[in-house]
Amino acid sequence: MIELRNVHKAYGDEPATLDDLSLQIDKGEFVWLTGPSGAGKTTLLKMLFCAEQPTRGEIHVGGHNVTRLAPSGVPLLRRSIGVVFQDFKLLPHRTVLENVGFALEVLGASDREIEERAMRRLDQVGLRAKALALPRTLSGGEQQRVAIARALVNDPAVLLADEPTGNLDPSLTDSIIELLFDANARGTTVVVATHDHALLQRHARRTVTLAAGKLVSDV
Amino acid sequence: MIFHVAWRLLRRAVMNLWRTPLPSLVAVLTMALALFLGAGFLSALSGARALLRAWGAEANLTLYLAQSATEAQGAALAERVRLEHAELTVALVGREEALTRLRTDMRDLASALDGISVSALPLTVELSPRGQLTSADVRKLAAQLARMPDVVDVEYGREWRDKLEELGRGLRTAGSAATALILGAAILVVANTIRLAVYARRDEIEIMKLVGATDSYVRMPFLLEGILQGLAGALIALCGLVAVHRVLLPRAQAAFAFTSGATLGPIVPAHLVALLAFGGAVGLLGSWLAVARFLRT
Repeated sequence: MIELRNVHKAYGDEPATLDDLSLQIDKGEFVWLTGPSGAGKTTLLKMLFCAEQPTRGEIHVGGHNVTRLAPSGVPLLRRSIGVVFQDFKLLPHRTVLENVGFALEVLGASDREIEERAMRRLDQVGLRAKALALPRTLSGGEQQRVAIARALVNDPAVLLADEPTGNLDPSLTDSIIELLFDANARGTTVVVATHDHALLQRHARRTVTLAAGKLVSDV
Repeated sequence: MIFHVAWRLLRRAVMNLWRTPLPSLVAVLTMALALFLGAGFLSALSGARALLRAWGAEANLTLYLAQSATEAQGAALAERVRLEHAELTVALVGREEALTRLRTDMRDLASALDGISVSALPLTVELSPRGQLTSADVRKLAAQLARMPDVVDVEYGREWRDKLEELGRGLRTAGSAATALILGAAILVVANTIRLAVYARRDEIEIMKLVGATDSYVRMPFLLEGILQGLAGALIALCGLVAVHRVLLPRAQAAFAFTSGATLGPIVPAHLVALLAFGGAVGLLGSWLAVARFLRT
């Protein structure tokens, strides 16, 4: 599903952010990506959804060689990848329902289809009752649930999450992670970047550890 | 699918304008001002050129006959011109009448003409076009008439006509340059104003691209907003022009004698359509430039 071959990323004369990294993630896997700040976790995730290009090496996602993808192919690739960020990235002037439905709008879905599918996802994350609320009226945990619902609304093959619990109260962390496990249980390949070791210990899964851009362990 | 996507994009464009009233208003007013100045200038230019054409059309030609020509020869020539040029009114001015006119023109100094013989004055044939003639027509006519027997000179105000034509050419050049300048400035100002609006919504664009929106899909609401802003700006500019035409100019003409000749080209439905189309096009181009630059970066 995801394959990195000798991926190297450097910005100018700075030390490499990723250094000769090779990694394979199979379809339906759940993988923790961990390491200290500056290890290259975010850069790796950005490369998977084409927000960054490697300096060298090859990256394959869902059968696409993203390092050779034409600019016009990037939107199509992104429609098969859901992304969740630490800062939620919700549109403040749109309701919860509109934020979730946003990912379906670009696919050209009808208003009725958007509402049906978005409501279904909001049901799954327990926010159906807040469909018409604006993001600023929600708690941090609820906003992250909305972001996860948006990332999953078009049934992506891959879900990438970059520190999805980083801005949340520890008591909310597990409920968010449970949503990611649910998505994984439905067949979505999930890669979660985190530096929260307690989280890794509570939810043991395959863990890829990076340090200074190098693969330190994969267990 | 295309219909509901288009409808959704239009709806979003209107909602975005509604959600950002101040930047939208600034863009609309900027465009209104640029279009008002541009269209007003073109209208004034059109009026000035019409005035010049009208002056140029007031063409009177005078044929001066040879000193040796008799009244009978003069009458025959006048008759020939009348037959060959139905577009002209023809009048022979005899020597006696010429002297009388001269005395009238010289008023108090008329006594200086007392010793002058009638035979010293040439016969003349005065010609006036029945309709409007262009300067080129008048020149061609003068050249034809100058070749007729007994005609020694043709007077048709060559000097002032040349100056008038030069002025007309100058106005055309200045008009084209000013129009290009105003157009360029309007597009740049609109592009910059819209760029601010685009910048204010960079998070939205980032999220749109993140969920797989193509550049065209990202661009479309902004282009529609640009067109709507351009149309609104053109409408305001049009109201301003109509106000100047109907209210301001007549009052100025009534109040100040020196503005009595001032005129603007008429506003016809075609101008309305052209101004709206132009406003929409300026808005479209401005937003295209703004978004293209943003998408590139």
